[in-house]
Amino acid sequence: MSNNTFSGGVVIANPYPVNQVEIVQAPLPSKVVLPLQQRIGAEAKPCVSVGDRVLTGQIIAKTEDQFCVPIHASISGTVTAIDKQIIPHKSGLKSNCISIESDGQDEWIETQGCGHDFLHCDRQTMIDYVQRSGIVGLGGAGFPSHTKLSKATDCHTLIINGTECEPGVMCDDALMQHHPREVVRGVEILLHITGAKKAIIAIEDDKQEAYQSLLMFSHNDRISLVQLPTKYTSGAEKLLIKALLNIEIPSGGFAADKGVLCQNVSSTKAIYDAVIDQRPLVSRIVTITGDALTPINAEVRLGTSFEQVIGLTKVNSQAHDYRMGGMMMGVDVETTQVPICKITNCIFVNNKKPVQATKECIRCNSCNTVCPIGLLPQQLYWHAKGKNIDKCMDYHLLDCIECACCSYVCPSHIDLVSYFSFAKALSKKQETDQHKTDIARERFEFREYRLERNKQERAKMMAEKKQALKEKMAKDKQADSAQKDKIAQAMARVKKTKEDNA
Amino acid sequence: MHSTGLNTNQIMRQVIYALVLGVSASYVFFGWGIIVQILLGVVSALIVESAFVAMRGRSVLASLSDGSAVLTAILLAISIPSIAPWWLVVVGVAFAIIFGKQLYGGLGNNPFNPAMLGYAFLLISYPLQMTTWPVDFLSLSQVVDEVFNLLNFDGISGATRLDDVKTSLSLGSDIATLQVRSISQSWINIGFLVGGIYLLARKIIFWHIPVAVLAGILTVASLISMLDAQQHLPVQNHLILGGTMLGAFFIATDPVSASTTPRGRLIYGFLIGMLIVVIRTYGGYPDGVAFAVLLMNMVVPLIDHYTQPKVFGRS
Amino acid sequence: MIESVVIFSSLTLILGLILGYAAIRFKIKGNPLVDQIDAILPQTQCGQCDFPGCRPYAEALAKGEAQINQCPPGGQEGVDALAELLDLEVLTLNEEHGETKPDHVVYVDEKLCIGCTLCIQACPVDAFVGASKVMTTVIQDECTGCDLCIPVCPVDCIYVREITPTLSTFVPNIPGEVRV
Repeated sequence: MSNNTFSGGVVIANPYPVNQVEIVQAPLPSKVVLPLQQRIGAEAKPCVSVGDRVLTGQIIAKTEDQFCVPIHASISGTVTAIDKQIIPHKSGLKSNCISIESDGQDEWIETQGCGHDFLHCDRQTMIDYVQRSGIVGLGGAGFPSHTKLSKATDCHTLIINGTECEPGVMCDDALMQHHPREVVRGVEILLHITGAKKAIIAIEDDKQEAYQSLLMFSHNDRISLVQLPTKYTSGAEKLLIKALLNIEIPSGGFAADKGVLCQNVSSTKAIYDAVIDQRPLVSRIVTITGDALTPINAEVRLGTSFEQVIGLTKVNSQAHDYRMGGMMMGVDVETTQVPICKITNCIFVNNKKPVQATKECIRCNSCNTVCPIGLLPQQLYWHAKGKNIDKCMDYHLLDCIECACCSYVCPSHIDLVSYFSFAKALSKKQETDQHKTDIARERFEFREYRLERNKQERAKMMAEKKQALKEKMAKDKQADSAQKDKIAQAMARVKKTKEDNA
Repeated sequence: MHSTGLNTNQIMRQVIYALVLGVSASYVFFGWGIIVQILLGVVSALIVESAFVAMRGRSVLASLSDGSAVLTAILLAISIPSIAPWWLVVVGVAFAIIFGKQLYGGLGNNPFNPAMLGYAFLLISYPLQMTTWPVDFLSLSQVVDEVFNLLNFDGISGATRLDDVKTSLSLGSDIATLQVRSISQSWINIGFLVGGIYLLARKIIFWHIPVAVLAGILTVASLISMLDAQQHLPVQNHLILGGTMLGAFFIATDPVSASTTPRGRLIYGFLIGMLIVVIRTYGGYPDGVAFAVLLMNMVVPLIDHYTQPKVFGRS
Repeated sequence: MIESVVIFSSLTLILGLILGYAAIRFKIKGNPLVDQIDAILPQTQCGQCDFPGCRPYAEALAKGEAQINQCPPGGQEGVDALAELLDLEVLTLNEEHGETKPDHVVYVDEKLCIGCTLCIQACPVDAFVGASKVMTTVIQDECTGCDLCIPVCPVDCIYVREITPTLSTFVPNIPGEVRV
């Protein structure tokens, strides 16, 4: 599309606008809880024990797999526990976390990066710093940045995603307005790492201050700023690439295959910190908004509880619903005793509302009209409800990005996305179960074969033994009869001799 | 988070409001008949729907509040002659709701358009009562007499203009000699057309089906006229006679039984238009809307399967 | 009159020949029904269905010599799937064959194990590692939860551990559905 947009999506007005976008520095938390399971990858193994003193930025857990993004202490203090705590996940399950009690001093470990003269640093060193600093996609996907950078070998275009399309979220907006120099430097670092020829910083046209702010600092003619029409899901990576470059990444494919690298603007700034100073990722900007409080942005340490972060602004005294992430793609959390994670870009605090009654699907096709991927949500809903996962796959269930545009417009108020995430989880479970039963069947059949083989071998061995015994007996018998003959002959000789002598 | 657009109940209600203009036009020309039929139909619809929803163990209030049963009843009441005996609309509505909706699982699950299913059942079972239409304005007392007492209809009833023309044509008359224009029919169709445009403007129905139906009618009627103009109805009359506008904007657009993909809707609408003209011209019934819609309802799963829109990232 | 007889007779002959040819040319080797039934069964190989394994039960079902509701590990979903495949009426799980227990594996309390190998011999999928007079343990990934090893252990050192959902295996509810 030539006017920097894509088909589908919905235009949603910002429900909680603010006059000035500011960043509040949150005070140091007294305690942090750091989950060992990050969004992508295996669970990290702690490399500290309870009772150890740790410094801010010290690595406290690592994984062994290829994604290995280390986890750092976000404050200095003592490790008080390594146990299961509630984490902000839609399942509400508990997961292993390291809890640290602050000593109030915020003592950092010594780190050194490439320094401001980063152009003399080589590509691999920079990627190593990004990995060691624990940088992941801060827009919400949480994909390990060093993996993405390593894969981007033939990159020609770099896209910096400053769209922030979820209505109400403004942490990236705040970053671009207040730290434009670091963002642009980060873009230059990424250009150096990827060897791309040009970079595009994409911003929605409702963020004019951020646009002006970045414009002042981007003197590099390889970096251009592009404004997109404000529309929800303009920030989805594949849709953004389509809108800007008119390249459609195939289903199941990666942007790197087409020579494009996309990074969120907050991740870009974190990469800048990592490369220049090897500064580990221990804090991030979080938007706290909703109809129950005055919206603010705050820079908080990872692991701070939601409760402490929400307490930074004025909240009313009604009953609240809490949500991590945006109003469209976020996750409802039951309690505020959950920690801020690397991917927590926003906390919504809304007054409790009665649940809207759901009616049946009338096949009006409003959902398909807004789906940015062009799926048929009413068909996916029909088959997911019937637990017919094969038919869901026929309608390309796995291409769904769970953006919730369909749920937003459905006149019957059906929560369509929850059916799709159910269907995806069920499909995964069915695959795993199928794999397990296939292996169990193989093992059973092999056991039957093994027992049968043992039986055969025993029978064969028995038969051979019998045969050998028979032969021995025959031989013995022969030897016996030969012996008998000899005795008879000897006796005959003796008799003869006796007779001769007589 | 949810958009502030209309919900399902409000959509059904808007469709009912949009029918007011066409119904008013019918009242102006033919009197109180249509009002009485609508009232009878709505009452029977509410009773039958409540009974069946209660039998299925679901919430009766939720089911009645969406207005879909009322809409079915109104559409059926408009489609049948306004001087039909009272039991005709009651039986038709009961059949439509039971066999056309509740037995399939209620709103959203029916493969056939319930109003048209009821109409087809009535047409085949009671052909005499279904083809006897009023020819003039009738007062309320006259209507009540006719509808509830089954007095003979001579003098106040006859066939529709469309039926008349068709009979004459089949007897060999030349189209030029027949009075094809019917003021009453034109105004009624215009009434429904305006209602339909209102629904389009409020985005309650999408343009694909009505435009495709009208295009289908125009295309096939033109083809037939080109082949033999003398023996067949002129193209423009197809649009203003019979249930054309009601069918295009209110009946074929029933979202549950229609095709659901954009391209599918164009094909569905066009074939309905085509079938309407074919049935009117070569078939044995005066108006083909009901059967055209029902036949295409059967083909909808096939159309939907082959007209899936392009998915992002897949060629 | 005579024409219609000729036409229909020749049609019958031609169509019959086509059907006969198709029956021979496209004949399926083996009995795929048994494989299809076996694919539905959970492969626990526990014998609760009164057959010595899942395959014999599948063969009996294909011959119509067994009911579809004899498999507790498959649960009611398994019965429903078999009913759909074999076009039979859906029955409720037969309680006489056992009840459906939640997904679980077993584990050995190694301190108590005496190395008698009775469990190794009992396990239908060889999920035990051990030998005579050597401490035995369970390969948890291979255990199907058939529980055949529990009654044979002379020192009762085999225990059940339920499989709980983790972050990656969690399946959310459909709106309005209550998790049993």
